[in-house]
Amino acid sequence: MHEPMLALENIRLVYNRGRADEVTALDHLDLALDPGEFVTVVGSNGAGKSSTVQIISGAQRPTKGRVRVKGRDVTAWPDYRRASMVARVFDDPRVGSAPDLSIEDNLALAMSRGRRRTLRFSTNATRRNRMRDELSRLGLGLEDRLHDPMGLLSAGQRQSITMIMAGLATPDVLLLDEHLAALDPATAARVLELTADLVAEMGCTTLMITHNMEHALRLGSRMLVMSRGRVIADVPQARKQHMEAAHVVDLMVGAGDELTDRILIPELQTEGAM
Amino acid sequence: MIDNVLIDTLVTGLPLVPLVLGIYLVLNIREDFDMTVEGSFALGGAATAVGLTGGLNPWMALAIGAAAGSIAGLVTSQLNLILRIPLLMAGLVMNMALFTVTLRIMGMPTMSTAGMETIFSPFVSSPGREADVAMSIVLAAIVSVVLIVFALFLRTEIGLSLRASGRNSRMVRSNGVNDNGLLILSLMVSNGLSAFGGGLMIQMQGFADVNMGTGMFIAGVGAVLLGVLLLRPTGSRVIRIVLAVVVGALIYRLILVSALRFGLPAGDLKGITALTLVLAVAAQGYLAPALARYRVRLSRKREPAPAPPTPIPTPSKETVDA
Ligand SMILES: Nc1ncnc2c1ncn2[C@@H]1O[C@H](COP(=O)(O)OP(=O)(O)OP(=O)(O)O)[C@@H](O)[C@H]1O
Ligand SMILES: [Mg+2]
Repeated sequence: MHEPMLALENIRLVYNRGRADEVTALDHLDLALDPGEFVTVVGSNGAGKSSTVQIISGAQRPTKGRVRVKGRDVTAWPDYRRASMVARVFDDPRVGSAPDLSIEDNLALAMSRGRRRTLRFSTNATRRNRMRDELSRLGLGLEDRLHDPMGLLSAGQRQSITMIMAGLATPDVLLLDEHLAALDPATAARVLELTADLVAEMGCTTLMITHNMEHALRLGSRMLVMSRGRVIADVPQARKQHMEAAHVVDLMVGAGDELTDRILIPELQTEGAM
Repeated sequence: MIDNVLIDTLVTGLPLVPLVLGIYLVLNIREDFDMTVEGSFALGGAATAVGLTGGLNPWMALAIGAAAGSIAGLVTSQLNLILRIPLLMAGLVMNMALFTVTLRIMGMPTMSTAGMETIFSPFVSSPGREADVAMSIVLAAIVSVVLIVFALFLRTEIGLSLRASGRNSRMVRSNGVNDNGLLILSLMVSNGLSAFGGGLMIQMQGFADVNMGTGMFIAGVGAVLLGVLLLRPTGSRVIRIVLAVVVGALIYRLILVSALRFGLPAGDLKGITALTLVLAVAAQGYLAPALARYRVRLSRKREPAPAPPTPIPTPSKETVDA
């Protein structure tokens, strides 16, 4: 038997335990992802998608259960320790980058991810060449603006760079939490393309959360539907290929979830994302 | 008259530069408040004075003073991390505790080091104008080394993590850096610098005083604000950061020295400090947008036409700090 790359075992996560506003975000959550698997995750608001990402990245400790990466029990590891294996792209590009630092410094910080920081200079000629190469694939001309502060860039440019940053020190597991949510459709399409390219290139196990049903069905090799802290449907590639967005929505409604306008199905989209 | 003012500014202002640098590190880079620096300034001065009195090499005495300050910073960081006391409160408490520690170390409130061998002894024969000039040259050399080492440090991987951590600790953590480690490091460096400044100060003035740190935090904040206002450093402009510190510290001293020279009594200095601080903060609000507009125009002019130039091989060009 081969080892899954990532395993969540009987995870329970309770926020504000023992207080009046106690919330059970995840309950009896089991999940095993194989090496190189690209999984999309959908589910209505509050289903526990972001909580799952927090549990995997180590930003939250589960109330109960175990987290394993490459077979190692990392449940007690803080997020910065897991960063050698797990990379994460936030929904808000401002969280994933430092606005007052230059593009170069942002990339340099990500290049050393998961390695012990030393008193070596953070940037040298070799690193800078690599940065230019990686940035030039975006086709945004950013490779000539290494010294510009990140804060000067548009949301799309910043999110493109945080995608690049996530891939600089090749991670074993890549977590994308609605990383296209803040972008306009055209930019989102471009960053999605970049995502697919990077994931294919690195071959890392990827978990992509999205509210866009079309993205969820078109990308990846497996789709999870979450509701009330659990996985209610685990759709393999063979079924996913022929699935309609409306069917996924039915699954969510069947679970008793209310739909919001954040869940995009192709028929309802005015500006086609693709 | 004018050159007297300048020499006085240098002699009394340069020993403050390490302190202001330490305050900049915590206040602007980490975006936090640490009042321990007041206590460690006096502590560093006292430890250095005791070292000198004990016949220690004056450089060694300085190093011991700086180490004492770093330990104070370490304690403050642990109060915050282990006992979960907010940093501002931890600093206030430490500042108070350090008063007693400093008094104990010296065994008296004021300790004279007049006539003892100091770092200035090889360059200064008899007190007077020439001695002041010689001292300011020695101080300028020491401070330059400190600033250069600090700027180089900020360019290292650890220094870069530090620069990113103040604004965006989540990003720093998700890139694999232990943020608590950075807090400890920044407080140790900042208080070590402050204590080093105290050591320079007592060797320059010839005595240590248990109260010599009082008011230094707010004075340092004033200096930082002045420097930031004039040089507008950003996280990646490391050279600007150290320039802002030295310019801010010296202009702050210049204002006070001028006030004294114009015949204001020493008791008015606190009022002047307060006024400087208020004006600096107000100027941040009112002048900054105007200055920013000016800078944008400047940078537009500098920028080449939209067409990106072919990448020029620039192996040695570190940054475009100007
Ligand atoms: N920090 C927190 N403190 C308290 N409750 C929280 C916290 N974060 C999330 N929750 C709650 O946990 C539940 C799951 O939230 P989560 O953010 O994981 O949902 P989600 O699937 O990502 O939803 P969305 O689509 O809105 O992003 C929700 O009921 C939410 O209110
Ligand atoms: Mg979410």
